[in-house]
Amino acid sequence: MWAIVQIVIGGLLQGGVFAIVALGFSLVYRVTNVVNLAQGAFCVLGAMGMYYFQVEFGWPILPAALAAVACSTAFGVLVGLATFVPAVSRLPASSALVLTAGLLTFFIGVTLVVWGNQPYALPPFSGEAPFVIGGLRVPTQGVWLAGISAAMILGLWLLLQKTTLGRALRACAENPTAARLMGIDLPRMMLLSFALAAFIGSAGGVLVAPIMSLQFDSGQFFTISGFIAVAIGGMGSFAGSIVGGLLLGIAEQFAAFYVSSLFANTLALLLLLFVLILRPAGLFSSGPPRRSDVRDDARIHRAVVRLEGRAAVTFALVLVGVLALLPMLPLPGGILASLVIALILFIAVLGLDVLMGYAGQVSLGHAGFMAVGGYAAAILATTYDWPPLAATLVALILSVLCALVLAAATQRLRGHYLALATLAFGLLVDSLAVGLFDLTGGPSGLVGIPAFEVAGFAFDTQPRMYYLALALSVVLVVLLEGGMRLGFGRALKAVRSDQLAAAALGVNVGRHKVIALCISAALASLSGSLYAFNFHFLSPEMVSATRSFEMIAMLVLGGEGTLIGGFFGSLVLTLLPTLVQDFAVYKTAVEGAILVVIFLAMPEGLFGRLAIWLDRVALRFPRRRAGVAP
Amino acid sequence: MTSPALECRAVSKSFDGLRAVEDVSFIVPDGSLCALIGPNGAGKTTLFNMATNLFPPSSGEVHFFGQSAAGLSPHQIAADGVIRTFQTARVFPGMTTLENVLAGAHLHVHAGALAQMLWTRKARQEESRLIAKAVALLDMVGLRDARERATADLPIGAQKLVEIVRALMAGPKLLLLDEPAAGLNDHETSELAALLRAICDAGTTILVVEHNMSLVMGVADQVFVLDAGRLIASGSPQDIQKDHSVIEAYLGRAQEPAP
Repeated sequence: MWAIVQIVIGGLLQGGVFAIVALGFSLVYRVTNVVNLAQGAFCVLGAMGMYYFQVEFGWPILPAALAAVACSTAFGVLVGLATFVPAVSRLPASSALVLTAGLLTFFIGVTLVVWGNQPYALPPFSGEAPFVIGGLRVPTQGVWLAGISAAMILGLWLLLQKTTLGRALRACAENPTAARLMGIDLPRMMLLSFALAAFIGSAGGVLVAPIMSLQFDSGQFFTISGFIAVAIGGMGSFAGSIVGGLLLGIAEQFAAFYVSSLFANTLALLLLLFVLILRPAGLFSSGPPRRSDVRDDARIHRAVVRLEGRAAVTFALVLVGVLALLPMLPLPGGILASLVIALILFIAVLGLDVLMGYAGQVSLGHAGFMAVGGYAAAILATTYDWPPLAATLVALILSVLCALVLAAATQRLRGHYLALATLAFGLLVDSLAVGLFDLTGGPSGLVGIPAFEVAGFAFDTQPRMYYLALALSVVLVVLLEGGMRLGFGRALKAVRSDQLAAAALGVNVGRHKVIALCISAALASLSGSLYAFNFHFLSPEMVSATRSFEMIAMLVLGGEGTLIGGFFGSLVLTLLPTLVQDFAVYKTAVEGAILVVIFLAMPEGLFGRLAIWLDRVALRFPRRRAGVAP
Repeated sequence: MTSPALECRAVSKSFDGLRAVEDVSFIVPDGSLCALIGPNGAGKTTLFNMATNLFPPSSGEVHFFGQSAAGLSPHQIAADGVIRTFQTARVFPGMTTLENVLAGAHLHVHAGALAQMLWTRKARQEESRLIAKAVALLDMVGLRDARERATADLPIGAQKLVEIVRALMAGPKLLLLDEPAAGLNDHETSELAALLRAICDAGTTILVVEHNMSLVMGVADQVFVLDAGRLIASGSPQDIQKDHSVIEAYLGRAQEPAP
């Protein structure tokens, strides 16, 4: 009995932090309609500030805490002003969501640069000795956490309900267009919500740092936990955020105590998937849903990117020619290996492009399909001695089945929720790869994977692997280009830009999304299998959430909806760490920054720019197009 | 006798107690050009959205060519030859005008995704045929030269025409147009009227929802007038223009009716 009470108390303490993060999510979501995935990073930012002021500079607790929260909030305001507010005003909601994923990656990268990769813990506010009430042990920090959290929640409630500013914020949440017409400065309100979220997030980080040890990527943990909490409670509902956070904390503590701490994450994610599927609106509904016509996603401008006719053929031949000749040149060490990786990852990015660039569906957990493909193929080939080709094909079928199950389960989910279900899927696969120790080798990975082999011919050298990946890439680009330039691709693009108008023309929107998801899952799986066979080794971190975000960065950098663009993105992000040795540390931060900057400054990407330019050049020369008289 | 292109039987719709459309019945005969008019807020678009099953009626039935629309999703209704346009031109951004129009041919692309990916001769020939048809249609509305431009960059009048041409690409049996003249100037409106007449004469039944009387009166065979959710009159444009209840609905009553 006491054990259960002890677990509940532990759960409430942990849940308190989740509730604070969830509250930040709800606040920003209500005003901007965007799930700000960078939310969890503010906790780490606050804790990092606290570490410097308290431990490094030796300040007393109160000034250090205030300074840490002030600095983090100020940083939040700067980031919000420079990126978040313009993004929400200018970009479609799905791009804004990906942009916040970029912000999260950027924050994680910056923390890695500043803190390195070891964990940090801060001294508790008032000593190590816990409170003991009738045999129950409560850490004093928990009392601080509970008290200050409650005060912040009360303050936030008063601000929203009792002040003019709060009324303006709520008006933006209810109907931004009308609020704007009433003279409310919408961008300022967006910034305010972002700043408030940064404030409560960093305060939560300062409070929790003495209880949990934090490291550079804890932001991801907070974001995910806070997001699960808010999804359980109901996106946009403040009461729901708090209840959801506390419930999640208690559930995780029970899972860790009765099952295994290795699976605590898995169970939380399963809980999330169940809630998303059974009750997409969460336990607490956040009032009447926002009218869909107040957001005008369809009106957002998109440049026409295309490369056709002779220009396209010339470009493709030159590119393939150069790539085919590369291994014959005396390349400096490591370059060829990097090119192999770039091509293998390109195959996955290609699939992601069909899903994101054409069908307009965001997948934040695409590495999950890579993991299924990689692990299934590697386990079949290593443990069960299957021929690699058969193992790869079976893994591919398994991935497509996963995609179908995910699609069926998320049929009722729209927009954001679908993207977030894919995020949960990716993390679920990741946590299973860590937890199913006997099958996958656990966190340290699966070793002794053979080389890829077709009919007795082993691709066991880097040049052989290179030509295999190149040939596959070329074949896949040609196949997909065939589909994307004709009716199938047009239907996908129609679904991306305006689902209602697409359906009115007879496009079965749901079916096209599922097909796009299956294609992208198949390609990610193929890429994952080749990745494992190439390295002869596979560990969970090679196919983790970081990889998912990296692939999105590659796609966005290269140019969405161009197929070939992903190759340039993959090339740049894979070659940079090889060419610039010191770059490895900055890689994550740079990837995050690329996502954010490209979205804001060059949404068509590197190849998109190039294609627009080449198309203009090609226009200067007379040409004929099928069916059109000159 | 053939069944009517569209038949609404005692259709009602209420939103949270607000009765947007109440007990409306009308018939659009096959091969005719009909118009549904009424002042702002009369429930025209609500009726329209029910007809295309964006949401089901609270009570009553909608039939297309004798077939009940109940339970059909929007893309199934489109597959049955009923194609609609939207009040604000919903062209696809990020596509050229030609691509936009080709997207309308979705139901007539018979080569499967796999055949397209394999660049089969059949898929390529089909594409050439569709392009030829799309260019011919664009030529008809004078937008042939805009085919390689981004549709979203065209003026609003041209975008509305692209939307109509896109709908025509789908080869509709019944074309439902939601305020096609909104945002057009007088010249463009009269050109649109001629275009609608030509489309109808070529065999496509049209129901146009319109606020703009000048478009409707010149070209419609039959007019239905909606006011405050109720059908208050129907008949030829000449009859409608003389109808007192219609004049009242548009211009207000001469004096307040007794309570």
